[in-house]
Amino acid sequence: MSGSAGNALRKAYLVASVAGVAFFVLSVTLLGVWPTQVLEEQVRTMAPEKALDPTLSEQRGRAIYGREGCAYCHTQQIRFLATDMMRFGAPTLAWESRRDTPHLFGTRRIGPDLSRAAGTRSLDWQYAHLFSPRAVVPDSVMPGYPALFDGAPDQPRQDARDLVAYLESLGRARELAGPEGEARARDGCNCPDDEMAQMAFGGMLNGHPARARRGMEAPILHTGADLDRGRQLYGRHCATCHGQAGEGNGPGSAGLRPSPARLAEHEYSIERLSDVLWNGVAGSAMPAWRDHSSDDLSALAAAVQSLSADRPEPAVPEHMVELGATIYAANCVQCHGASGDGRGPAADKLTMAPASFIRQRVSLPEALRVLRNGVHGSPMAPWTARLSEGELVAVAHHVRSLYAPTPPGALRR
Amino acid sequence: MSVAFGLLAAVQLIAPDVARDVAWLGWGRVRYAHTQGIMLGWLANAFFAFLYHGVPILTGRPVTSARLGVWIFALWNFAVMVPGWVLVLAGVSQPLEWAEFPLVVDAVVVVTLLLAAIQFLPGFFRRGVESLYVSSWYIIGALVFTLLSYPMGNVVPEFVAGAAGAAFSGLWIHDAVGLFVTPLALAIIYFVIPASTGRPIYSHFLSMLGFWLLFFLYPLNGTHHYVFSVIPMAAQLSAIAASALLGVTVVIVVTNLTLSMRGSGVLPRDPALRFVSTGVFFYLVVSLQGASQAQMAVNQAVHFTDWVVAHSHLAMMGFASYAGAAGLIHAWQRMPEARYNARAFTWAYWLLTVGLLAMVIDLTIAGLIQGRMWADGLPWIDSVVASRPYWVARTHIGIVLTAGFVALLVGLTTGPRGAGLAVRPATAPDGPSEVAPRLTAATAEAS
Repeated sequence: MSGSAGNALRKAYLVASVAGVAFFVLSVTLLGVWPTQVLEEQVRTMAPEKALDPTLSEQRGRAIYGREGCAYCHTQQIRFLATDMMRFGAPTLAWESRRDTPHLFGTRRIGPDLSRAAGTRSLDWQYAHLFSPRAVVPDSVMPGYPALFDGAPDQPRQDARDLVAYLESLGRARELAGPEGEARARDGCNCPDDEMAQMAFGGMLNGHPARARRGMEAPILHTGADLDRGRQLYGRHCATCHGQAGEGNGPGSAGLRPSPARLAEHEYSIERLSDVLWNGVAGSAMPAWRDHSSDDLSALAAAVQSLSADRPEPAVPEHMVELGATIYAANCVQCHGASGDGRGPAADKLTMAPASFIRQRVSLPEALRVLRNGVHGSPMAPWTARLSEGELVAVAHHVRSLYAPTPPGALRR
Repeated sequence: MSVAFGLLAAVQLIAPDVARDVAWLGWGRVRYAHTQGIMLGWLANAFFAFLYHGVPILTGRPVTSARLGVWIFALWNFAVMVPGWVLVLAGVSQPLEWAEFPLVVDAVVVVTLLLAAIQFLPGFFRRGVESLYVSSWYIIGALVFTLLSYPMGNVVPEFVAGAAGAAFSGLWIHDAVGLFVTPLALAIIYFVIPASTGRPIYSHFLSMLGFWLLFFLYPLNGTHHYVFSVIPMAAQLSAIAASALLGVTVVIVVTNLTLSMRGSGVLPRDPALRFVSTGVFFYLVVSLQGASQAQMAVNQAVHFTDWVVAHSHLAMMGFASYAGAAGLIHAWQRMPEARYNARAFTWAYWLLTVGLLAMVIDLTIAGLIQGRMWADGLPWIDSVVASRPYWVARTHIGIVLTAGFVALLVGLTTGPRGAGLAVRPATAPDGPSEVAPRLTAATAEAS
C-alpha cells in the first residue's frame, strides 16, 4: 500500500467515523429530542387546565403493573387507526401520558389495550378477574394474582386495591376533562388540516364494547334464534358468573356485589335482554357484549329465556292484591316508578338502575328473598324491618303482576 | 437459563395457572428474565468470549490485560446477570423492553462495557485504521455505540415521561439490536468465513459500504416501533424510510457474505461455517421482513401480534445466536485445551434450525390470524382462543429449541480435548497467526 493511498484512506475513514457519530447524534435528535420538544409543546397547549394527577395509591398500583409485566400483554396506546378506535376509543394524546415515567406503551397485545380502562369494568369484576381470571373469563390466558388478596376475591389487600385504583385511572383524566377539555385540545392542536390528528377528536372517547352504558337505546334482538348456538355461547361467556343452570352461582360469582342475577328465577322480556346484552348493567359487574353479532346475542337471549324455571303460577290471594298495590305505592315508587318501569323520581340518582318489573318477572321465592335480604352492592335494602311478612308477600305478588312485555309484533327493531 | 425462562413463559400462555402461587415465576417477570438473559447473558457472553479469540488475531497483539478480563467476566456475570435476574424475579425492574434490569444494574453494565472497550479496542488504534479489517470496524462500532445508546434506552425513559419516553425506548429497542447485537454478530461472521474457507472476503469495499450504511441507518429506525402513535409523524416517516434503506443495506451485506462463501455448499461441513451460512440466510430474511413490517400498510396488519414475536426470534436466535454459536465453535476449533463434540454440534444445528423455522412459521401464521380477527372487530377473546393451538405448538417447539441449546452446550463442554483441531477443514490455516495476514490481505486488496 502506497503512503498516499494509505493517507487518503485514513482521511476517508476519519470522515466516515465523524459521519457515523453524526448519524447517531442525528438519530437521537431527530427521533428523540425533537419529538420530545414537539410532544412537550402538545402537552402544554392541549392538556386540560386542571388535569387530575395520580394519587399515591394509583402510583403504587402503577409500580405493581410495571413489576408484573402487565405492559407486555396490554398496551396503553390507542393508535390513530380506525381498527384501534372502534375497539378502544379515542387515540392516545401526548398529554394523557405526561405523568407516565417510565412509559407503558407496550408493543404486544395478548390482552386488550388498557388506555381507557377507567370505568370500563366494575371494581368487583376487576378484583374477581385479578384474583382468578378464568373464574370470570374462561378462555383467558392471563395469570391470576392471588398473592394480592387475602384468599378470596372480595378480600383485596392494599396491593390489589392500588392496582385496581391504577386501572381505574387509565383514561380518566381525559374523560373528566369533558367536552371543554376536548375543545381545548382541539384548539391547542390547531391542526384542522391534519387528517390523522383530527381522528383524536369527535369519536367516542371510550369505545370499549364491554363498557356498561346506562339509559341507552338498544336495538331489539330477534326471537326464535338458534338455541343450540345460544347455549354454547352461554357456556363460554355467561356460565362463569351466572352458573350453568342460571342459578347465579358460577365460580366467578364469589366476589361480585351485587351477585350475578339468578337467571332461572326470572322471566325476561326480549326488550330487557336486548338492553342488558347491548348495554350491560351499569353499577354491576355485568358487562355489555357489543363486540358480538346481533345474531349471536339473539341466540344468547333465547338461551337465557330457556333457563327460566317452569313453575306453576302461584295463585294470588284476593286480599293481597289491594294490600300489595298500597305497599308498593307507599314504599317502592320512588325508585321503581308508579308503573313499575324502574324510572321512579329517585332512579337517576342511584348507582344502579332499579329493576323494571314491566320487562322482567321475578319468581315469587326470589322476590321474597330480595325483599328480605336486599341486594348487597346495590341500593336495594332489606325490608323486613319496615314491612310485616304478610306485607312482603303481598308486594312480591304485586311486582310480579306488573310484568307486561311488549307483544313481539309490536316491537320496534 | 434464558431459554428456559422463555419456555416457561410459553408454557404459561397455554397453562396460565402453572405458577399461580409462585409470584417470582409469574409470566411478566419470567418474560423480563428471558429477553435480558438472551441479550446480556447468552449473546454478550458469547460475543465477549469470541473477542478474546478474534481481537488478538485482528490486532496482532494481546488484549489489554488478563486481569481486566477476569474483572469483566466477574462483573458481567456476578454483578449484572445474577443480580439482574434475581431483582427482576423479585419484582425490582423497569417495564422497558430490552431494558428490564433496574438502574443499579444498568450502572454496572455501562462500567463493564467501558472496561470491555479498554480491554479490546486499544490494539485496533495502534495498528492504524487504514489497515483495519471489517470485523475490527464492527467491534469498534459496537463497543463505542453501545456505550452511547445503552444509557439512552435504559436511563432516559425513567425520567422522560410518556410518549417522549417511548420515543427514546424505541430508539434503544432498535439500537440494542442494531448497534450491539448485529455488529458483533457480523464481526464474527466476517471473521469466520475467511478463516474457515481460507479465502478472503469477496469484496472489502462492499464490506465497508455495508458497515458504514449500517451504522448510519440503524439508529434512525427506532421510531418504527410506534407507528400511528402520537409521536410526530415526521419522525415516524423518517424511521420508516430508514427501515427500507436498511433492508437494502442488508442485501448488500448478505450478497457480499454469500459470495464469500461460494463453493462451501449450502450446508458446509465445518459446523462453525454452517451456523454462519444459515445465520446469514436468516439475517437476510429477518431484515427484509423488518423493512417491510415497518411500512404502514404492513405495520397496521401485524403490529402488536405474534408476527413480531416471530420476527424477534428470527433476529435474536436465527441471526445473532447462530453467529454467537459459530464464533464459539470456531474459537474452540483453535484451542488445543478445549473439549469439542462434533456430533453434539450437528444435533444443535438441526434442532435449532428445524425448531426455529417451525416456530417462526407458527407464530407468523398466528400473528396474521390475530391481526385479521382484530381488524374484523371480533370479540377480543376469540383471538386468544384462535391463538391457542399455535401457542401449544410454540411451546412444544420451545422444547426442541431448548434441546438445541443444550446440545450446543454439550458440544462445547464434552468430547476429547483438542478434538476441534482435527475437525477444521484442510484449507483452513493452522493457527491464529496465519489467519491474520489472510484477513488483512482482504484489506490490502481493496485499498
